Amino acid sequence: MDIFDGLLLGFSTATTFTNFVYCFLGVLLGTAVGVLPGLGPIATISMLLPFTFGLPVDTALIMLAGIFYGSQYGGSTTAILMNLPGEASSVVTTLDGHAMAKQGKAGRALAAAALGSFFAGTVGTLFIVVSAPLLASLALTFGPAEYFSLIVLGLITSMVLASGSLLTAFGMALFGVLLGMIGTDVNSGAARFTFGTPHLLDGLDFVVVATGIFGLGDVLANLEDERSRAAGVAKVSSLFPTREDWKRMTAPVLRGTGIGVLLGVLPGAGVLLASFSAYALEKKVSRHPEEFGKGAIEGVAAPEAANNAAAQTCFIPMLTLGLPGTATMALMIGALVVQGVQPGPEILTQQPSLFWGLVVSMWLGNLMLLFLNLPLVGMWAKLISVPYHYLFPMICVFVAIGVYSINNSVFDVYMMALFGVLGYFFRKVGAEPAPLILAMILGPMAEEYLRRALLISHGDASVFFTSPLSLGTLIVAALLLLSIISPRFRKVREEGLQEAD
Amino acid sequence: MKIGQDSILGLFFAITGIVALWISIQYPLGTAGRMGPGFFPVGVSGLLVLTGIGVLVRSISSPGELLSAVKWKAVVMVPAAAVAFGLAIEPLGFFLAVLLLLVLCAATSVKFRREWKSALGALVFATLCTALFIQLIGLPIPVLGTLFK
Repeated sequence: MDIFDGLLLGFSTATTFTNFVYCFLGVLLGTAVGVLPGLGPIATISMLLPFTFGLPVDTALIMLAGIFYGSQYGGSTTAILMNLPGEASSVVTTLDGHAMAKQGKAGRALAAAALGSFFAGTVGTLFIVVSAPLLASLALTFGPAEYFSLIVLGLITSMVLASGSLLTAFGMALFGVLLGMIGTDVNSGAARFTFGTPHLLDGLDFVVVATGIFGLGDVLANLEDERSRAAGVAKVSSLFPTREDWKRMTAPVLRGTGIGVLLGVLPGAGVLLASFSAYALEKKVSRHPEEFGKGAIEGVAAPEAANNAAAQTCFIPMLTLGLPGTATMALMIGALVVQGVQPGPEILTQQPSLFWGLVVSMWLGNLMLLFLNLPLVGMWAKLISVPYHYLFPMICVFVAIGVYSINNSVFDVYMMALFGVLGYFFRKVGAEPAPLILAMILGPMAEEYLRRALLISHGDASVFFTSPLSLGTLIVAALLLLSIISPRFRKVREEGLQEAD
Repeated sequence: MKIGQDSILGLFFAITGIVALWISIQYPLGTAGRMGPGFFPVGVSGLLVLTGIGVLVRSISSPGELLSAVKWKAVVMVPAAAVAFGLAIEPLGFFLAVLLLLVLCAATSVKFRREWKSALGALVFATLCTALFIQLIGLPIPVLGTLFK
């Protein structure tokens, strides 16, 4: 099937009335929950998961994608209006976005973000259309050694990009791998780390852990400084960018899109890297670098475009290799598995309507975002200003219902409570949980591919260095690690991540 | 007492690693060519122990940031409310479990007041949740639990 047939199939899947409506609902709900302060995409998606249960697989996936985009965009809105980034990648948006909002240009900042995101989303989708089938056919030639090396690269990237020290991030990733080991070993059937309870035989549900750490953990952390939470929401005035705005944001959006599309494909924290690099690049090429941080529209348009393009293309490793690039993608895989879909290179050939329907609905979702967010921005601003003491009990109710409804299991609710406390603990000791989340999904995969690779080579570890692709991947990973030890890069990373705190 | 973030985290890593290592050496190790169920966990938990020790050593050489005060009320109450939800959902059913969780959570806030308006709000919210999740989405959870049957 060529790309054109695929797109036609995609359009016929995505534009059936039901799927269209659910895509819209997903975008709407995703934005509505995503704008709430303190709720990043991970918490948003896990809270909204029950809405996709009981739907046919393609509809559920399309709605999930809608929720994903909605939550991304909702996060940008909160970042601009309230200076509260929902996740690390929208941190750079707060720098200039909130500065613009304080100058009474909130509407124009939001419009720049929305238009930039839409353009980047369109390009990102086109990129998926062209490259995903190629990569999927390439992926079928990958052996276990290549997969193992890619996973190692993904884990190392996520560690290098986590805030705080590398050693801490390494420990978090190892802990995540151990959490992923819990349950029955697929190969030997041995029950590992189950502490004798039958509830753990199927493993810890990934969604439960993510909801606990990000949903409940965030609530606990936010309650810490309840009194100091000032709900200062900037007023939204004129939404239309001026002629000068258009002129100033065109090139940054183009550059941001390019960066985002390329970096999003990287396993690891591609989205985060994309928005930071786009911002840094604009600051470098701008003729007025002194305006950055004080409300330069380029500083909103470029990272938002990069952010969204990367959010799009990070679906590529997930859909074609079954490897999540970011913690959010890891959660999407968790959600797909709940639906009975195993992402991987076969998805394209065995369920083409699912794949192409998703791709087309990505673009439709972006289009809807544009028409949903800008006119409704007044409503979102109202939602943001709901005081936290009303909000957090409702968040707790939604996460509890969400977790319980996955398996109708009370045990899952207790686990979520436990991981909520752990999530709070990690924040207290300054350890970022993103590597843990990613490692929990990637760890068991790494074990499986390592086992297969070594089985084929009769225990000879040199297989990882004899395959050119595997070797190349490992070299990139080693360079990343080396670069963090080099003092010059270390300084750049610290500065970059400092802005994140 | 002033405790550094790193000392606590290092201890957490080291202890978790030791426990995991102790559990995983009881699984068959296998060989590199035929990895047993213990092979990978032993490696990972061993590394975790080393990382924990590394973080501890770092905390001694450079204390780093100190642990800020823990607000125990929220840390205990909110997870306890989730556990209460878990305990209640089968015997009491969806509606009452949601109400219980909502009120217990809200009680954690410094802004919590016992007044009829909030009580009414909680009732309305629990009703809306029931309508949304059970009637509209159709989650297979009984509205009223086994206690009422």
